[in-house]
Amino acid sequence: MIDKRLFQLPGVKSLFQMLAGLTILQAFAILLQAKYLAESLVILWHRQNWHLMLIPLVFFVIAFLVRHLLTWLKDILLDRFATKSTEHLRQQSLAKIYAAGLQMTAKKGSGNLVTNVLNGMDDVHDYFNLILSKFMNLAIIPWVILCFVFYQDHTSGIILILVFPVIILFMIILGYAAQRKADNQYSEYVTLSNHFLDALRGLPTLKMLGLSKQYAHNVYSVSESYRKRTMSTLRVAILSTFALDWFTTLSIAIVAVFLGLGLMNGRIALYPALIALILSPEYFLPLRDFSSDYHATLNGKNAFTAVNELIATPITAPQKQLDSFTWNKTSQLTLEHIDFDYDQQPTLKDLSLQLAGFQKIAIIGQSGSGKSTLLDLLGGFLTPNAGQVIVNEQVIPNLAQINWQNQVTYLPQKPHLFSDTIANNILFYQPKAAPLALQKAVQQAGLTEFIASLPDGLDTLVGEGGRGISGGQAQRIMLARAFLANQRHILLFDEPTAHLDIETEYKLKQTMLPLFENHLVIFATHRLHWLQQMDYVIVMDQGKIVEQGPIEQLQKQNTGPFYELTSHMRGEQ
Amino acid sequence: MWKKDTWVKPYLKQYKFLLVTVLFLGVCTIFCGAALMFTSGYTIDKSATHPFNILLIYPAILLTRAFGIGRPVFKYVERLRSHNWVLKVTSKLQTRLYKTVETDAAFFTEKYRTGNLLGLLAEDINHLQNLYLRTVFPTVVGVLLAIVVTLGLGYFDWWFAFITAMLLLIEILVVPLLSTAIEAGRRQKQKTYKDQLYTQLTDNILGVNDWILAGNQQQFQDNVQQKVQLLNQSKLHSNHFRWCRDFLLQVVLAGIFITLMFFASYRLTGSVEQANYTAAFVLAVSPVGEAILPISQGFEEYPLYKDSIQRLNDLQPTVQDLPKQAHLDPQQFQNLKINNLQFEYDADSPVLIKDFQQNLHRGQKLALIGPSGTGKTTLLQLVNGDLQPQKGSVTLNDINVRTLRDEQRNLFSFLNQQPFLFNTSIMNNVRLGNPHKSDEEVKQALKAVHLQELIESLPDGYETNVTEAGARFSGGEQQRIALARILLQDAPIVLLDEPTVGLDPITENELLNTIFTVLKDKTIVWVTHHLQGINHVDQVIFLNHGKIEMQGNPKQLYQDNQHFQELYKMDQGL
Repeated sequence: MIDKRLFQLPGVKSLFQMLAGLTILQAFAILLQAKYLAESLVILWHRQNWHLMLIPLVFFVIAFLVRHLLTWLKDILLDRFATKSTEHLRQQSLAKIYAAGLQMTAKKGSGNLVTNVLNGMDDVHDYFNLILSKFMNLAIIPWVILCFVFYQDHTSGIILILVFPVIILFMIILGYAAQRKADNQYSEYVTLSNHFLDALRGLPTLKMLGLSKQYAHNVYSVSESYRKRTMSTLRVAILSTFALDWFTTLSIAIVAVFLGLGLMNGRIALYPALIALILSPEYFLPLRDFSSDYHATLNGKNAFTAVNELIATPITAPQKQLDSFTWNKTSQLTLEHIDFDYDQQPTLKDLSLQLAGFQKIAIIGQSGSGKSTLLDLLGGFLTPNAGQVIVNEQVIPNLAQINWQNQVTYLPQKPHLFSDTIANNILFYQPKAAPLALQKAVQQAGLTEFIASLPDGLDTLVGEGGRGISGGQAQRIMLARAFLANQRHILLFDEPTAHLDIETEYKLKQTMLPLFENHLVIFATHRLHWLQQMDYVIVMDQGKIVEQGPIEQLQKQNTGPFYELTSHMRGEQ
Repeated sequence: MWKKDTWVKPYLKQYKFLLVTVLFLGVCTIFCGAALMFTSGYTIDKSATHPFNILLIYPAILLTRAFGIGRPVFKYVERLRSHNWVLKVTSKLQTRLYKTVETDAAFFTEKYRTGNLLGLLAEDINHLQNLYLRTVFPTVVGVLLAIVVTLGLGYFDWWFAFITAMLLLIEILVVPLLSTAIEAGRRQKQKTYKDQLYTQLTDNILGVNDWILAGNQQQFQDNVQQKVQLLNQSKLHSNHFRWCRDFLLQVVLAGIFITLMFFASYRLTGSVEQANYTAAFVLAVSPVGEAILPISQGFEEYPLYKDSIQRLNDLQPTVQDLPKQAHLDPQQFQNLKINNLQFEYDADSPVLIKDFQQNLHRGQKLALIGPSGTGKTTLLQLVNGDLQPQKGSVTLNDINVRTLRDEQRNLFSFLNQQPFLFNTSIMNNVRLGNPHKSDEEVKQALKAVHLQELIESLPDGYETNVTEAGARFSGGEQQRIALARILLQDAPIVLLDEPTVGLDPITENELLNTIFTVLKDKTIVWVTHHLQGINHVDQVIFLNHGKIEMQGNPKQLYQDNQHFQELYKMDQGL
């Protein structure tokens, strides 16, 4: 009934102790409230002077207020705990996202992750809040009340104690039935509920096909069948709430009747009878609260599971195994028998290669051949399952090394611009660079004219919520960042010009070439013109290096993987 | 906002009978809950007088049972009915939203393209559902209940009835409205923080590789955490307010208890028989309190609902003023002329297309190349008549396309970067091209685009669902499905908007070969970003900032124009 993982949260024990203490106090407040209310009612029934009623009435109000003050206090404690725990989880998730890098997070979908870390955490917060308080109430209050009622009147106590398991049993049976029915209909349900957005998004297509007007009927009829479907599920789904209501109200009625009979034959006095009656609804209240919030907490439970899974992903943040060094023209990197296999990423098998100094290396291959994965291994964003890496004679298991990554600049196909000024985007690796250096980088990246055309110049906001920027300019901003970070001597490119139009690509290429000097360049691409600037080629196919060698040598051949791939890419034109 | 509202108020008149039933059942539910305690209290008090015959308390016992059963039954039926009403209204709202968007002439411009407006609007309708279920219904039921209680007490004593009514009104209306007003600013602030946080986090995740290379994990976590802290602080204030408010509501409820005690003491102690009702009146307070206290909670989301209602009401479709419509038989189509075209989205934005001229005969093919944002897509929308140019015109056989809006589907087909596939079977998706075609013809079209083998190898064959947004198929395959749709549509002019963007060169080559083979008789305007497959067209135009930089037959250009030659060589990697 209650999630075991909750007991592993830090600080949960002391919270439980405090909550238990306060809840016991609260239970007694409820008893006192009932006692004094019953006392005043007896006085009223005896038609005594209203002055006599005042004292129990005052005590009743005090007990009543104390009870609700205790709720307030518990809320504060719970909220503090829930916030602290969620923030702890959020920190851990962020650390994991950082460790995992874009390659892993992209698999989960960045939107999904954002939801996990934001809305998901809100759900988790509510989950902690609700489940702990409701659970504690249910664990304490009914039983204290039951003892007291039993002490006042055995018959009422027996009725109350008998009804409880019956309610639980029915709720379980009906809950399962509803669950089964809901499960059966779930896929259809999702289809129908997405249908409306589907129709809105597909509207341009429908318009083009001249079907948009008549499709409105379809929208209505699908909405209506969604309604019918929901109603038929709901009819069963809320049966368990119905059962709970039914048994609680009915048992209150039965208690009242038995009390009435007991009073008539003089078995019991009015005062204890009133107490028993007043306390009957209070006895069921925690159970009703628990079940009404139970469904609300399901989202939180799922979100909690999702965040735990994220945190449990076996990925570690970049390491410090590699000694600090600077890549220069005599540096060497060797990969030996590298295997990689994870999730849905392309698998790499037995990769070996050797790079040195300021070589220019092209990686070519079909989509899905593992070019990007290899590049990600080289950037240390992914780590191999087997094999070893040697950097200047130091053997390390992978390149997820702080001292490797501080040598690397990476340009992806679609660069991400941070929601910040252009200047800060360029200064990202080098926040303290001199203004003059910044100016120079801007000029080297061919941005001077563009920046001058902006009213705010380098202080123009870009990225989400900022000014829209064309793909070519975005790449230039990345280039400026690379020019500025001149202590980084390894450049990784992943199709930086693939989605640009040909003229932009042509101009951008002229800007990029000077950057290649004094850098180790590793360039994954479909665009064959880059081969002219390279001196070594790696051809990949299905996760393997099928050919590698100096470019002049490969270009002379009329057979082999390189020849086949390049002629295939050019098409038969 | 409420005065001009057309998205909430009018619908309260829909399905009136059902709505009245819902409210009636709502009142009955609470009434039964209170009556159960009332009759229980009476039974006990009456029994305490030791009546000589059990029959004297029998009616009370019977009523106690009846109310005990009545409450859950009414509640169950009320919940079903209210959902039914809300979902019925939802069907109407969704249809209306669809129709509104459909008729909006601005649909083709930026308005719907930026951001996630469509998603937001769809979500807004869901918010309206909650507005009814969590705010409107409980409040109306609460008010009705307050009236019943007041009238009931008023039968005995108008003064006590008045005091009770005031206290009830505080619980049902005053506190909810006041707390909404007080919290509104804070909620707004929280929404802003949340949006910022959302941006920051998305930014962090998408740029995580850059953070790793920068080696700055601390900053990566801190910049999110800072914003979270701001948000949490504000939320804590809201919580403190809520806890305080909830306590105040309980204090008021205690006030109602006290009022009824004194009422019982003043009015019901005249005789033994009257005194039997004392416990009844006082005990009925608890169930009433239980029902009305949550109303304040229902108001908490009001700022959210308000945004939604505002957004829906702001949705004023601009009606297209189209010239008188003409007719053109697609078979008769001979030439497409673009005359001195000029276009800008509005006075503030730059002129996108300037003095654009072109003449295409039936079967001719034109390619447009240029950087993003130079208005290539806009040009396609001008060609098929979706947009009205400021100057010039587009004509088919000298008939203005703006007068051929009703026949657009017979004249134009459109294939864009990400073809939209509906969440239904492949068969249905392709048949949308022409609903009158037989299964056999659909299969023929799929064969022509080289999908036959793939589809027949799937377990469900042609009935395979393409799943949401066509996620089941690769980019190239999705384009092929959309291409089959175009084949069925069989319009003489086909507009291609970068259909191969994002595909690898081999897939791209194959797709372009298929496109130009199956569409060889069509007139084609093709927007592309590089020169792959350029030899398929008769004419290529390089556009930049609304101007033509270079144009001509690609083979001719390759011979005459050095710049084109360079570009072509680069594209081919020569």
